[in-house]
Amino acid sequence: MLFNSIEYLLFLPAVFSLYWFVFKKNVVVQNIFLIGASYLFYGWWDWRFLLLIFLSTVVDFFVGQKIYQNIDVKKKARYWLWVSMAFNIGMLGFFKYSNFFVDSFIDLFHTLGYDIKSTWTLKVILPVGISFYTFQTMSYSFDIYYKKLKPTRNFIAFTAFVSFFPQLVAGPIERASNLLSQITNSRVFNYAQASSGLKLILWGLFKKMVIADSLAPLVDDIFANYGTYSASTLIMGVCFFSFQVYGDFSGYSDIAIGTAKLFGIELMSNFKFPNFSRNVAEYWQRWHVSLSTWFRHYLYIPMGGSRVSKLKSVRNIIVIFVISGFWHGANWTFIFWGALHAVFYIPVFLMGRNRMYAHNVVGENRLFPTPFEIFQVLLTFALVTFSRIFFRSPTLTDSFQYIDQIINNFTYESYVNPMGYRMMDYYVLLAFFVIYEYLIRKDERSPFKFKSKTVRFLLYTIIVLAMLLFYDDGVNRSFIYFQF
Amino acid sequence: MKKLVLKLLLYIFLILLLLEIMVRAFHLYAEDPPRFIDDLGVEKRVPGYRGYSVTGNRNQNFSEFNINKAGFNSHREFTPSKEKYEIALIGDSFIEGFHQDFDNSIAVKIEAQLDDTEVYQYGYAGYDLANQMHLIYAYKEQFALTDEIILYLNYQSDLYRGSYEPNVGRIKKLSSTIFKVRDNIKLLSYGSKIGVIEPIKNLLTGRSLDDNPDQRFQEHLEKLEHQETPETQKEFLDNFKSLVHLYGYDKCKTTLLLDSRKTSDSFLKFCRENNFKYIDFAPTFEHSEEPETLIYDRHWNNHGRDLIAKVISDYFKTLDKTQDCE
Repeated sequence: MLFNSIEYLLFLPAVFSLYWFVFKKNVVVQNIFLIGASYLFYGWWDWRFLLLIFLSTVVDFFVGQKIYQNIDVKKKARYWLWVSMAFNIGMLGFFKYSNFFVDSFIDLFHTLGYDIKSTWTLKVILPVGISFYTFQTMSYSFDIYYKKLKPTRNFIAFTAFVSFFPQLVAGPIERASNLLSQITNSRVFNYAQASSGLKLILWGLFKKMVIADSLAPLVDDIFANYGTYSASTLIMGVCFFSFQVYGDFSGYSDIAIGTAKLFGIELMSNFKFPNFSRNVAEYWQRWHVSLSTWFRHYLYIPMGGSRVSKLKSVRNIIVIFVISGFWHGANWTFIFWGALHAVFYIPVFLMGRNRMYAHNVVGENRLFPTPFEIFQVLLTFALVTFSRIFFRSPTLTDSFQYIDQIINNFTYESYVNPMGYRMMDYYVLLAFFVIYEYLIRKDERSPFKFKSKTVRFLLYTIIVLAMLLFYDDGVNRSFIYFQF
Repeated sequence: MKKLVLKLLLYIFLILLLLEIMVRAFHLYAEDPPRFIDDLGVEKRVPGYRGYSVTGNRNQNFSEFNINKAGFNSHREFTPSKEKYEIALIGDSFIEGFHQDFDNSIAVKIEAQLDDTEVYQYGYAGYDLANQMHLIYAYKEQFALTDEIILYLNYQSDLYRGSYEPNVGRIKKLSSTIFKVRDNIKLLSYGSKIGVIEPIKNLLTGRSLDDNPDQRFQEHLEKLEHQETPETQKEFLDNFKSLVHLYGYDKCKTTLLLDSRKTSDSFLKFCRENNFKYIDFAPTFEHSEEPETLIYDRHWNNHGRDLIAKVISDYFKTLDKTQDCE
């Protein structure tokens, strides 16, 4: 079920009403209802994969107990941690990466002069959200292993934690320490929280339906026909993709966080206006925060993080970024994309500027950013956007040819929208979007933080009008990150 | 909880109200002048309507229409007489020309190229050849005074029937309360035009939510493939013969306007062998360096209309009036 579908428009009020009016007296019943709703939400795509979620739940629930029972016997605890990792990564590997490895081996042998006919390639459907919920359940086992958390004995609460529908298929990837404790305790309806949830849902829908979905057909066209376009169009195409993927994914996260608020649950922030980052390190503190902190806590720090020698730290950074790239998809393009980010990140790290902007925003305490900040933001945006050529292209060859076309056809040609819409509409839309996000940049959880009720009301109306103005019934309304 | 629900409902109501005002202020909705079937069974527009036709989501195309006393979008009234030279141009939405200001229509463009000629544009969205030939038959006195008649034949869609029956069902549907409500609430009219109401309608009617444009396009392609079969071509030709038999066909003053790229060779051969004159605009379109159609709905754009007007004008400039047409 998509957040931006008519089914969800009916599903959400129904679940909300039953949750607060019928099941509110007993937290266990409320959690059982949440599980039912979550399984229905997920099963709407393909009910068969519910079994995977349930298996992942059972394994990590059981493993969590075992790790805790053996917490003082490091070897045994580690053994059970490996069971959790083997199961989750094995599942992920089978469904997501098996064909990639088979094909890569075939390609490798082909390069060496041996032609192998593939009989191993499997016809496997990638279960939606598998990368997200496997990482979430693994974090539970990790937290117990690192003594940050005691395992729960409440299987129902744990099942609700793993399958909580707002963030099940595309995050934020929650930690048990935050989400599980909220699910275990009874929730009380809070008007301010629910109201703020609705506002986030509206803002998320705007980002998805207006920004991402309106740019999607243009990006698709430009990337599919890059050989026929000039540099100006290709640069515009990848810039549009930057906004598309941001609108798509951060929109999803906002809707997820907003929906969770309606049920009295606070999820972690996933996007903190990454387009205003002043260097790549800040970008990774603002983009897909739940994943970058996951890698930081469960991979980077256990490897030594930055407390080891510079050389080892650089190695750790490369490992993290390459794995992060690979997490996104079973394709060399994602690995290259991750590696490229490591290349961008390492100089910032070596200069000791990687935590420099961790606690402030661009234009802190000022209305306008300084010229230097503008330069920094534009440079970071340019680097990140450049890397997205690899993220968006189907193969590495396509990525390099795309870049080659920019260099060798470095001319300006006006782009004609294949659907006949004025291009000016998109430029104006993006300009307003960037300016508005700049105005609200200090608090990603309050997109309508204006004192005047009239201003807020006008903004809501403009947003709904924009949703209509940019509505296109021919657009595939699925979310980009579902494929990961 | 009560506060949240009440406030939410109030906000939704106020937002819808403000949206209605905005949709009206920016004229985002499409106006569709009402249709009716007259005493002679001809389906057309109710005379006297003037307004704006809007295409696309963000007013991609915004043009003024004017429904004359005869019930067609035109810059002039239809008053054929023996003293004047008139051409009747009959066809579907391509001829109706809601994508162009009525004072810049194909008829106006032809008149600009032919001296002392009045062009009567009998265009109506949805007309097939049966509609067109029945129109001439129903208004035979009027057409007897008209010097030339051009029938726009879209071969792929206009020959599915061999006799005319007025589409009473459609007129009834469009006059129903639901459609009246839709036409009066401009936000609803706009939402319906851009397809935002479609998923709700599908849900209510139980139609598949997976029914997507790609699928519809695929079905359209399959339909086109089907048209290339000899059986379908024979059916089309039989329907054409049936229409000629039922409503008559003045070969001397009637000419078909068609695109030979989309018309079967057997039909063209039949026309040639039986003295059914036709104007083929395919070569002109093929030589055009600019697109001839609008991007978003494939109707002729201004350039396409220029070309059509030129093809028709050139045809009449070189027409041999002494030629035997029986």
